[in-house]
Amino acid sequence: MAQLKEVCSFDGHSDRAWCVAWNPSGTLLASSGGDKVIRIWGKEGDNWVCKSILSEGHQRTIRAVGWSPCGSYLASASFDATVCIWSRKEGEFECIATLEGHENEVKAVSWSCTGSLLATCSRDKSVWIWEVTEDEDFECASVISSHTQDVKHVTWHPNKEVLASCSYDNTVKLFKEEIDDWSCYSTLESHDSTVWKVCFDKSGSRLASCSDDKTLKIWQEYLPGNTEGVVTTGNNPTWKCVSTLAGIHDRTVYDVDWSHVTGYIATACGDDCIRVFKEEDCSDKNQPSFNMICSVTKAHEQDVNSVCWHPKIPGLLASCSDDGSVKLWQYLEN
Amino acid sequence: MASNFSGALQLTDLNDFITPSQECIKPVKIDRKPGKVGKIRIEDDGSYLSVNDEGQETRLEKAKITLNDCLACSGCITSAESVLITQQSQEELYKVLKENLRLQETGQAEQQKLVVVSIAPQCRASLAAKYKLSVQETAAKLTGFFKKIGVHYVFDTTFSRNFSLLESCREFVQRYKESETNKTALPMLSSACPGWICYAEKTHGHYILPYISTTKSPQQIMGSLVKDYMATSRGVPANLIYHVTVMPCFDKKLEASRSDFYNDIYSTRDVDCVITSVEVDTMLQQEGISLNDVEPVEIDNIFTQIHEGQLLNHAGGGSGGYLEHILKYTAHNLFGQDVTQINYKVLRNQDFQEVTLEVPGQPVIKMALAYGFRNIQNIVQKIKRGKCTYHFVEIMACPSGCNNGGGQIRPEGEETPKELVDRVTATYNSIGNSLPDSLKTVVDVYNEWLGEVGSEKSRKLLHTQYHEVEKMTNALTIKW
Repeated sequence: MAQLKEVCSFDGHSDRAWCVAWNPSGTLLASSGGDKVIRIWGKEGDNWVCKSILSEGHQRTIRAVGWSPCGSYLASASFDATVCIWSRKEGEFECIATLEGHENEVKAVSWSCTGSLLATCSRDKSVWIWEVTEDEDFECASVISSHTQDVKHVTWHPNKEVLASCSYDNTVKLFKEEIDDWSCYSTLESHDSTVWKVCFDKSGSRLASCSDDKTLKIWQEYLPGNTEGVVTTGNNPTWKCVSTLAGIHDRTVYDVDWSHVTGYIATACGDDCIRVFKEEDCSDKNQPSFNMICSVTKAHEQDVNSVCWHPKIPGLLASCSDDGSVKLWQYLEN
Repeated sequence: MASNFSGALQLTDLNDFITPSQECIKPVKIDRKPGKVGKIRIEDDGSYLSVNDEGQETRLEKAKITLNDCLACSGCITSAESVLITQQSQEELYKVLKENLRLQETGQAEQQKLVVVSIAPQCRASLAAKYKLSVQETAAKLTGFFKKIGVHYVFDTTFSRNFSLLESCREFVQRYKESETNKTALPMLSSACPGWICYAEKTHGHYILPYISTTKSPQQIMGSLVKDYMATSRGVPANLIYHVTVMPCFDKKLEASRSDFYNDIYSTRDVDCVITSVEVDTMLQQEGISLNDVEPVEIDNIFTQIHEGQLLNHAGGGSGGYLEHILKYTAHNLFGQDVTQINYKVLRNQDFQEVTLEVPGQPVIKMALAYGFRNIQNIVQKIKRGKCTYHFVEIMACPSGCNNGGGQIRPEGEETPKELVDRVTATYNSIGNSLPDSLKTVVDVYNEWLGEVGSEKSRKLLHTQYHEVEKMTNALTIKW
């Protein structure tokens, strides 16, 4: 039986740990929490240690952190309604910009594949797109008020300038730049409650979403002229829910991460459990089958808030929880 | 509930579509009476009775949230919309007209209200585009329509915009001269857009408010013209005039409701009721008539931008042309240069453009148009960080400006919103332009009403003020 073996556990956050994020090269892990600090973890010899503590950027909970594709910048989203941009030079982090504009709690932050755009979302129901200028300035390129409720998460397509968001309004939305502004071109409806997280697979043609309705859903993109005969409008693809994994999670599923290395999907759940899913070999992309290949009950003492696959090492997973701990796990076959 | 407000206002809505009765957290002032607190009894009909020790019963008053409470509160804005719908709609206009008719029939004509409708040129263009009429025809048909249902006068807010433009130009030059000693003199930010003003008051307060031009919008200057100048010159008390404006934008209802535009002496507002282009169209439908079939009547030329029977406009675009007028006025008055051609440079998007005025031997003047929420954001953040290089910014909450206002008629059939806005803009621009001081009537009214340029009276009647709304921090509203 496959298993997730605990590699190590870090105590450091004095409050709930909300988010974990690997830098693109996988040398650093950033975690953030209710204690208003960001901790940067790295390996020294064989041990993982806390290399830096980024404090004094935010007045309230830091809900999420995200690395730029070049790894030189870290963006942090806080309940204080701001986003901080941290620049990493010679191992030292410095806050170089504070992005103001959201009316209240910022819930997530994501860099586009080229690093030239940053997306943020908030309880104010809006999604903002910021353009990174040459002199490290950030200008607002768009404010999209498409969701009708709190927007929980935003994430960019792995290689296109397409943005996905999910919300308390139970939907997932996809955005792209039209003539002069960004707009929503597709709304994905299938979840019965808050969608907490949405993420793309490596190809960008599939999405995984997790929800307060205790399900995990897989969505497939169908381009215009697709051989399956799925109806599309104009130049826009149609996204269809092709799989719903229900009856597995006992509580709200807060996070999902689709590994671009192994193709495995990990979930973080309010039942304190981490689960890993794998697509069956020769599964039909129009009706894919995913199986749970392992789970860790009591992975943390309390709700698991975030999971993140390592970008290089197959099967290495980071997680964090309401109990304040951050853990690393290694997936092992048998 | 779908909101009709501009994007800037919708964003300031903190909570999730609530109505005032449900979740409004605005504390209501209660006049406390001295004495012991008795019991409160709830009657079968839902009313509350206070019962004191002696068994005396007093009916308790219901707490009511007014639009003004909403405006002064940093909470939700959607609730303000439901309050607005009850206070400012075509139904209110119909009520007044009906009452006038009743007074007429019962021989009390002296108590009738003088009903005045002032139409914004953007609304005229919106209706013209829908009914495929010329601007001139639309003005006459709208006048015909309103007069037929009992309105006494129909005016054009292009006329009051003359005053708004002239005053903005003078204010800018004065601020420019003061800018060496007064740090908040520049950049001057335009003030005609109520969505922008409400957003600035609710979210940016003292950082931004000092930069906003104090000149009133065309709507509110028309309000003063009607309720002050016209009332006085005709000897009609201001409260016996019912003044309706037709506006391209829902947010204008909020502007008309501001306490700054309330006349305490006569207990009346400068603008009693604001209806949008869409609502005028609804009125036409209610009356079962197409604008095409309305008998045209000549518009009243007292407060109308008209010369030898031809309606006129201002240059500089569908949002009023503030930038263009200020730039030309500044070039002429400060540098003795007459600018005929203005070159707009499109920046990040079509709604963000800049203009540079370079006169040899003089400091460079930079101005910008910033429409839509995203562009407002960048201007506001630059000002906060002291990095804004503009001297004047014409700010409008709606992308594409006022011709695309939230109260304008929506496209039908195959037409896209963009195509319709282009058509409305073309219609808007289809009549000749005039300078704000070119009409004799403007000069005459100014002199008679306000006296000299810059007089105390002109400051009082053509300018207004802004109020910071304190942020509420309520732990109950936190959601993960």
